[in-house]
Amino acid sequence: MIKFILRRLLLTIPTFVALMFVTFIAIRLVPGDPVEVRTGEHGISPERLAYFRHELGLDQPIWKQFLDYVWHLLHGDFGVSLSSNEKVLTEFLTLFPATLELSFAGILFAVILGIPAGVFAAVKRGSWFDHTLMGAAVAGFSMPIFWWGLLLIMLVSEGWHLTPVAGRIDMIKFYFEPTTGFMLIDSLLSDQKGAFLSALHHLVLPMIVLGTVPLAVIARMTRSSMLEVLSEDYVRTARAKGLSEFRVISLHALRNALIPVVTVVGLQVGGLLAGAVLTETIFSWPGVGKWLIDSIGRRDYPALQGGILLISSLVIIINLLVDLLYGAINPRIRHG
Amino acid sequence: MANAPAPVTVQPAGPFAAFWSAFSQNRGAVGGLIILLTIIVLAIFADWIAPYSAIEQFRGMTKLPPAWTEGGDKHFWLGTDALGRDMLSRLIYGARISLFIGLSVMSVSVVIGIALGLVAAFMGGVIDSVLMRIMDLIMSIPSLVLAILVVSILGPSLTNTIVAVSVVYLPNYVRLVRGSALAEFGKDYIIAAKVAGVGPIRLMFVTVLPNCLAPLIVQAALGVSNAILEAAALGFLGLGAQPPTPEWGAMLADAREFIRSNPWIVTLPGLAILVSVVSINLFGDGLRDALDPKLRRS
Repeated sequence: MIKFILRRLLLTIPTFVALMFVTFIAIRLVPGDPVEVRTGEHGISPERLAYFRHELGLDQPIWKQFLDYVWHLLHGDFGVSLSSNEKVLTEFLTLFPATLELSFAGILFAVILGIPAGVFAAVKRGSWFDHTLMGAAVAGFSMPIFWWGLLLIMLVSEGWHLTPVAGRIDMIKFYFEPTTGFMLIDSLLSDQKGAFLSALHHLVLPMIVLGTVPLAVIARMTRSSMLEVLSEDYVRTARAKGLSEFRVISLHALRNALIPVVTVVGLQVGGLLAGAVLTETIFSWPGVGKWLIDSIGRRDYPALQGGILLISSLVIIINLLVDLLYGAINPRIRHG
Repeated sequence: MANAPAPVTVQPAGPFAAFWSAFSQNRGAVGGLIILLTIIVLAIFADWIAPYSAIEQFRGMTKLPPAWTEGGDKHFWLGTDALGRDMLSRLIYGARISLFIGLSVMSVSVVIGIALGLVAAFMGGVIDSVLMRIMDLIMSIPSLVLAILVVSILGPSLTNTIVAVSVVYLPNYVRLVRGSALAEFGKDYIIAAKVAGVGPIRLMFVTVLPNCLAPLIVQAALGVSNAILEAAALGFLGLGAQPPTPEWGAMLADAREFIRSNPWIVTLPGLAILVSVVSINLFGDGLRDALDPKLRRS
């Protein structure tokens, strides 16, 4: 097991190096002069231009810039945002809890609904529930989520006035300093009446929008994995022993059927962060996805660079954890 | 002897007939295929089918609701958008753009994917490792974030959308081709071909490749729908096709401010995306079940 972990860890190092290289090169290729963005002037005097270029290290040879970049990264320095003058890492960490809260809610929504739905469809194979669910699942993972979001806003927020349109909490009624950055927790800690409900209200629609695609994938995967397991000999044995149907399904079949589902949930992480970019844009949710899109518009090199690097590193680490977890629940993988 | 009964020979079903008999059993897949063919016909013959040009603006006819609702105009069956352009025509021309994006992305990534996948499988060693690490890297960046990165370097346009989305989906094909090629290597017919003196290029493309095609075709079909979704998302973020191109995602981006007042401007383009993607996915699922029983879900 240790060998497996070590090998897997070593394999990620070249990926990290390549990632740093790609973000570094890519951002240099972006059109638009970063100094002009910083100073907000066109036709700046040559001396001031040279001064700023020197200050940003842009007058160094490109290889030196890259080594500097890596050196700084290794010391946790992801640069300074050109537009806000704040450290990229600080900015990212301030906004990240919002994305994390949203993603976590989305995947929770998908798992809580998807696994029981998939199990039920497999057990009642061929029933109307099975057919409806599988039809809905195809629609679910074909869903353009930015449209789904607009549609839900149109119906639920504008039509029925059930949920707010944007943001994380009612900013007019409630204000408190963030302690954890997670609105649901902060609102509880704030002791302001109704704050938690307001935060929950704001979370519902974005959560559904972000959770829709994973929900469809998880329901489909659970169903097919469950169907496979239900035809195994040990399930027949369990039935033959006279165990109740509930026991057979929940204890004997489901535990084994969940192994591929765990991988699928893990694989959703990358997609979830991509989905968060769209969801945050639609709902004006102040997370890293929206920040990234805004950074493009502002030609904010360091923010983009650092943001993409941090998000991708996160995905690499989570995939690594999923792999290790998978190795732990399914020993056959370790020696593959 | 002239009246002796002719010997009855049963022709084995050809590969296409065998495929069709398996495919046609799946009602969803056939439905998907029919819708998909309809969309393709609309896209190809848009110039004849669409009542108006996609960019013609009718003065005084802005934000008309669909014809069957109150205030609708029978000349504009699905209504008009904020600039007085006919929604139906824009949607029909949009089908052309979305299918074009989907098919281009698929062709580009399939061709490059086959080339790189076969090279990785045949060369092995350092080349294989380097290629696969690069593919790992591409896969580790969330698809939309990577596409955004590529588009922000190249600038937003339809062509760059195709480039960006192709890059995003390339690893799937490379890994698939490499994997199936490696699985074929140990088999006897490859050794036989080598013994017979078949050169490496012929071995790659003529001997091995046809045996890896089934999963590749399935992946390609599903790849088209992913590409359409991804391109629409870029269009929605303002990073894809630029106005006045009637790209469905870009149409949605323009429509955001009319959620309250003119819901059909928001509803219709998204519905068009959903219907096309669903039809391609149903068709792709059917292809998978018919072509490759090993991959069958249940």
